[in-house]
Amino acid sequence: MITIVLRGIFCKLHIVCCIKQVPDTTQVKIDPQTNTLIRTGVESICNPYDIVAVEAAVKLAEKNGGKVTVITMGPPQADSALRDCLAVGANEAILLSDRAFAGADTLATSYTLSQAVKKISATEQVDIVICGKQAIDGDTAQVGPGLATRLGFEQITYISEVISASKDKIRVKREVDGGSEIIETKYPVLMTVELELGLPRYASLPELVRSVRQEVKVWGAVDIGANIEQLGLKGSPTSVKEIFAPKTRTGGAVIDAQGNGVNQFLDTFFQKEPEVVKEIWGGGA
Amino acid sequence: MPKNAKGRDIAEIIPAKCIGCQLCVGECKVDAIRMENGVAIIDSEKCIGCGKCVDVCPSNAVLFEKIRKKKAVIPAAEVKPGTEANIKPEYHGVAVFIEVVRGEVSDVSWELAGKARELADKLQTEVIGLLLGSNVGEVAKEAIAYGCDSVYVMDKPVLAAYFSRMYGRALVSMCEQVKPEIVLIGATPLGRDLSSVVATQLQTGLTADCTGLDIEPDIKLLSMTRPTFGGNIMATIWCRTRRPQMSTVRPRVMKMPVKDPARSGEIIPLDFSADGITVPQLIEFLPRAAEAGGVDITKAPVLVVAGKGACDAKSLPMLEQLAQVMGGSLACSRPVIQAGLLPYVRQVGQTGKTVAPQLYIGVGVSGAVQHLVGMQGSRKIVAINIDKEAPLVKIADYSLIGDYKQIIPELIKGFEARSSQLKNKPQSNLKGSQA
Repeated sequence: MITIVLRGIFCKLHIVCCIKQVPDTTQVKIDPQTNTLIRTGVESICNPYDIVAVEAAVKLAEKNGGKVTVITMGPPQADSALRDCLAVGANEAILLSDRAFAGADTLATSYTLSQAVKKISATEQVDIVICGKQAIDGDTAQVGPGLATRLGFEQITYISEVISASKDKIRVKREVDGGSEIIETKYPVLMTVELELGLPRYASLPELVRSVRQEVKVWGAVDIGANIEQLGLKGSPTSVKEIFAPKTRTGGAVIDAQGNGVNQFLDTFFQKEPEVVKEIWGGGA
Repeated sequence: MPKNAKGRDIAEIIPAKCIGCQLCVGECKVDAIRMENGVAIIDSEKCIGCGKCVDVCPSNAVLFEKIRKKKAVIPAAEVKPGTEANIKPEYHGVAVFIEVVRGEVSDVSWELAGKARELADKLQTEVIGLLLGSNVGEVAKEAIAYGCDSVYVMDKPVLAAYFSRMYGRALVSMCEQVKPEIVLIGATPLGRDLSSVVATQLQTGLTADCTGLDIEPDIKLLSMTRPTFGGNIMATIWCRTRRPQMSTVRPRVMKMPVKDPARSGEIIPLDFSADGITVPQLIEFLPRAAEAGGVDITKAPVLVVAGKGACDAKSLPMLEQLAQVMGGSLACSRPVIQAGLLPYVRQVGQTGKTVAPQLYIGVGVSGAVQHLVGMQGSRKIVAINIDKEAPLVKIADYSLIGDYKQIIPELIKGFEARSSQLKNKPQSNLKGSQA
């Protein structure tokens, strides 16, 4: 109890990380014949970009003094992803779990998260929110910017390096088309992070023990004062019409490169692919 | 039909079909469905057999045979023509956000103008350009040449550099004034940053990183198709009741339209107020060294890609030479990055770049799933590998089986010979010249 109080008093930065539990997607496939999912041994993991976000937050808190709160929206099992974050240095964890949250698209998700961050901020003001740049199951990269917009925070996406941070501002490097930008901004800010920022540390044994024992708060729709119309399925303007297997490519000519194989290949290519040849090397190449 | 202890007909989930979207969990009125390991499970004792989960399931994963009177969701075929299209009749036109970065228009904006033309023709409406920036008068004219019927422009010094909140306010204000029924934005870093700001403020649906767009006949909705689950599944998304329907679209997927400088259209300036918006401080822009030298692997028409089998510092100059001779760039798969032989910007794959060149030549690339998702959109794939069982060989249009150290010099020589022949011959004679 005393440590919690002391942490409260000396806390300089309050950082909230938003994480997501995702299936390990490289293992999920669809059977093109039956249009069913093949999910042999698909595990649930913490989204890799979000783990990087937690490590960045913990580092910031270590350097500047502060506290890291991790939140996730998901079913009760998402508790394990939160505990993974506690094990690598997050101080507190909150699970947003309610039947009303289910079936949310990115608009409803950012609403739910924003209500939670507002509630957290009411007792301990939030300076920084860090999210992974995207989740590997949906790959939308939309929740972070949506959350920043709802909170009215400054928004800096695709961060590859935290250069410096002080009590009231932060300087970061972000990746854009054609290069990178060095940006400085005041708090409050929401940042989304790239993998280059660095993987998390290994959990120490005492931290592991703490992560298992520590209480994870569970908040539902009522706890975050949410308008039910904006949550989950009801609050989601997008809906899935259908899913199907992507067109798979089938192999073509297999040529033995021995002897005249390479020339044979070039002849065939120029003969059979005049459009590609034209597109690449133009009419006069 | 299975029944529970109370004798009710109950629904069941077929795990192989469940995509873990949780729509049924949200729909179930009695809290009978929970998620376990990414699959929905129905508690048979709680289930009241209402069948609501059946209606929302996009993948037909719910087994339920009881005949019901009412359907919660009307399937597309039963929606009356025009009802959804007319849900907000004040919204019309297909709008394209024209992205200008440091004075240059992103190619994807014109690709989208081409696609918008096609969609607008199906809807019998107009193509609208939405242009933000500073000194972008020429760009507005170009937008008309690429197919826009009208271009709305906010041309202000404060819009010279991109900042999320500044551009967000500008584009939101534009959408509120113009009221397009569809807004298309390139799925570039800037576009993906901006689109969600705008969709959130407009409280409408946004579908990310689409690779296919079409108009659903009869109901006139925009069908937005995108890869999900790491590219293993395609999903088609609708935004039924809110407007505009918004989508970001992956670059180099839609065809670049032909520019027609003779086209005419209207350019409409709009006012913009930046009052009350603070922006972060841009300290400096660092051009990517490799890209400054002209190497952006996502833009090269030909990519020579070094894989684990060619992960050798001595061989890279040879591969680079092949790339140069063919007018392309050198890229690689993850092992080559891990060996420190090439920089991260050259990596193709899930954690690298997604590429779709006209011609992809994989040298010693085995073809792990994570690599394939980043390159399977390539127009033609050539695999050079010692192992004819390699996964890349299974999807390649042409495979050359053998030692790349012998194949590459022969390719360079053979290609050089043919390219000089091609120079003086018209395309139609191509075939004959190879005899």
